[in-house]
Amino acid sequence: MDYKFTKEDLQEIENLKSRYPEIKPVTLPALWIAQRRFGHVEPEVQKLVADTLGLPEAHVHGVASFYTQYYKEKKGKYVLDVCTCLSCQLCGGYDILHYLEEKLGIKKGETTKDGVFTLNEVECLGACGYAPMLQITNDTYVNHLTKEKVDTLIESLKEDKVPEYEKIEMPLRKNN
Amino acid sequence: MPEVIIDGHKYEFEGEQRLLQFIQDQGKEVPFFCYHPSMTAPANCRQCMVKVGQYVRDRESGEYEADENGEKVVRWFPKLQTSCNLMMSDGMVVHTQETDELVKRAQKDNLELILINHPLDCPICDQAGECPLQIQTYKYGPEGSRFEVKKVHKPKRVQLGPRVVLDAERCINCTRCTRFTEEISKTNQLTITSRGDKNYPTAAPGTVFDDPYSLNTVDLCPVGALTSADFRFRARVWEMNQTPSIDITSGKGCNIDLWTRDNLILRITPRYNGDVNDHWMPDEGREAYKLFNENRISRPQQKLDNEQILSSWNNAIATFSELIEITDKKDILIVASPHASVEENYALSKYANLMGLMQPVFVAHIEKGKGDNFLLTDDLAPNTNGCKLLGFKEISSKSLKTQVSKAQLVIFIQDHFIDRGILSTEDIENKKIVIFSSNHSETTRSADLVIPVTCVAEHAASYVNTDMRIQRSFPAKETKYSNRRLNLEMSEGRLDRHGTHFDNWVTEDNKIDCLPVWTFITEVAAFSGIDLTLEDGRSVMEEIAGSLPAFSGVSYEEMDERNGMNLSAEKEKSKTDS
Repeated sequence: MDYKFTKEDLQEIENLKSRYPEIKPVTLPALWIAQRRFGHVEPEVQKLVADTLGLPEAHVHGVASFYTQYYKEKKGKYVLDVCTCLSCQLCGGYDILHYLEEKLGIKKGETTKDGVFTLNEVECLGACGYAPMLQITNDTYVNHLTKEKVDTLIESLKEDKVPEYEKIEMPLRKNN
Repeated sequence: MPEVIIDGHKYEFEGEQRLLQFIQDQGKEVPFFCYHPSMTAPANCRQCMVKVGQYVRDRESGEYEADENGEKVVRWFPKLQTSCNLMMSDGMVVHTQETDELVKRAQKDNLELILINHPLDCPICDQAGECPLQIQTYKYGPEGSRFEVKKVHKPKRVQLGPRVVLDAERCINCTRCTRFTEEISKTNQLTITSRGDKNYPTAAPGTVFDDPYSLNTVDLCPVGALTSADFRFRARVWEMNQTPSIDITSGKGCNIDLWTRDNLILRITPRYNGDVNDHWMPDEGREAYKLFNENRISRPQQKLDNEQILSSWNNAIATFSELIEITDKKDILIVASPHASVEENYALSKYANLMGLMQPVFVAHIEKGKGDNFLLTDDLAPNTNGCKLLGFKEISSKSLKTQVSKAQLVIFIQDHFIDRGILSTEDIENKKIVIFSSNHSETTRSADLVIPVTCVAEHAASYVNTDMRIQRSFPAKETKYSNRRLNLEMSEGRLDRHGTHFDNWVTEDNKIDCLPVWTFITEVAAFSGIDLTLEDGRSVMEEIAGSLPAFSGVSYEEMDERNGMNLSAEKEKSKTDS
């Protein structure tokens, strides 16, 4: 497939260039623009970014492959990153992961046939206080997961309704 | 002058210097993997840790503070420092692993960390024997591993490019190879992919690591992760002898080492020379080892009834002298060659002088656009300037064609004009052609007399590179008439010196029946009753230095001492002296 940036994308990259003293740091935001446009940064997209910025292909590949947030292959419309690190694991992170596997009919790391969901097992997302939790496509956190909450989440995502950002107050210290 | 105190000894230093480099320059040692003197120091292997501090001084009096024992108090940096990227400053106090238990422990623990995922396959690894990781683990590493879990598996036997193979599991991510492509060869073809314990160097997907200097990354690699596709599994390092030599595939004259076993050159690696090639050499030069082993001419060959047959040296000498005798002197054309050494060309020219023949001419071997302002040059021959300095006339390929058409007897040396496309077989029909050559070619096949001569790996001879630097080779392999125990120019391996049965040379094969040009010329002269003795490269160079002002002051001793001599600089010097 032939990947091309739109005029607006190119303009945005051009604006970014002026914000950095050299061109290399633009790699990160430019990759984000590419991922927003194409949904992934496959090698061909990496090449497009490299050519657009005039950087070596190898450098862009190195950056893209370093960060897990850049998708180096085609993913579903919604990528569900389920945390199974220590706190989530203790609070049932694996239960949620396995429930999702069963519900979506896929194993972790796979994408549903209709291309809507990708399920990943990830390490700590820094939300131990709200365990177990998952993240939707590098963005919204869904906290305090239960099987019921997962059901409603999947239903609403199928209707393209992404849950709102959820504000959770930290419990106050008693001796304060 | 600023001072630094390393392990209790005071050293003076000048200018900006990296601590690790300075320690090495003093002949001391701190282990390291990622540092390389010609590249930047990212300090990512963390192996070169040392303890660094400064003597405490009273601000007001400027006196050094002393403890109860009268020793100066040192204020240490809160943490150990990597010495590779630490610039030295006046009054710096350094403790290396030799004097400090903490540093010793840090280096040991770091090695344990590096070795967690490093496969224990030294017995089948090509790097074994010249592997910094292996050596330093023996010296500074832990006795065993505490990790009983499975090692991380990564891609193996990845053909990164036509000449380099990657074993990602062995990689310790020092980034020397990626830095080489970024900073030295500037092709930016390599990067480190992924992260954490899954990372390894690779080219961008869909691209090939075809950098013309790619094999330098194999030399740089401190482990066996990058190996040469060609040399892989060919020989163990300790089975080979290492002989210094000169790259003959380009005009730059990169300094190289020839690695020999059983009279075969098995690989070529660059040898450090800051004035010529630093630590590097182009991949092309490394392929030259095949020239020294394969397709060699052994025993003189003569055309009889239009067919080349093996001859004898006596026959060859007689035929050569006869050809010179029966041909009119003005019909004899001697073509010297930038592919032959100064000594070989000189031998021919001296013979021509004594016989009253025309002085040799030569044709430069230039390929426009080949040079890259680094180590590749437009000049494909190692000794073009040598021919010029010997006073030979440089002629164009066109004029060679005319001159050959006018001549009756043409003598070539190491230059294959038919293969180069300058002459055709029709051009040399009805002419007598004599060629001194070490390898078979189209040109030698159409010659009337082929005299097998030693190649750069078999004799000591010198070459003048494009920057007017004269450098010399050493004999690395034996011919049928040389013996490495008697020929003092030849080096012996560690194993040989004990004279055991496990000698590096386990077979007496692979010896070529050939002679150095000067020896053959001496024989021919003796046959014709002329007084001409050219013993070996060393004495021939002495004679040249004594008779040609361009080479005054040049000798093998001087070249060895100074790693080659710059002739234009010598000239300037002698001018100012007089």
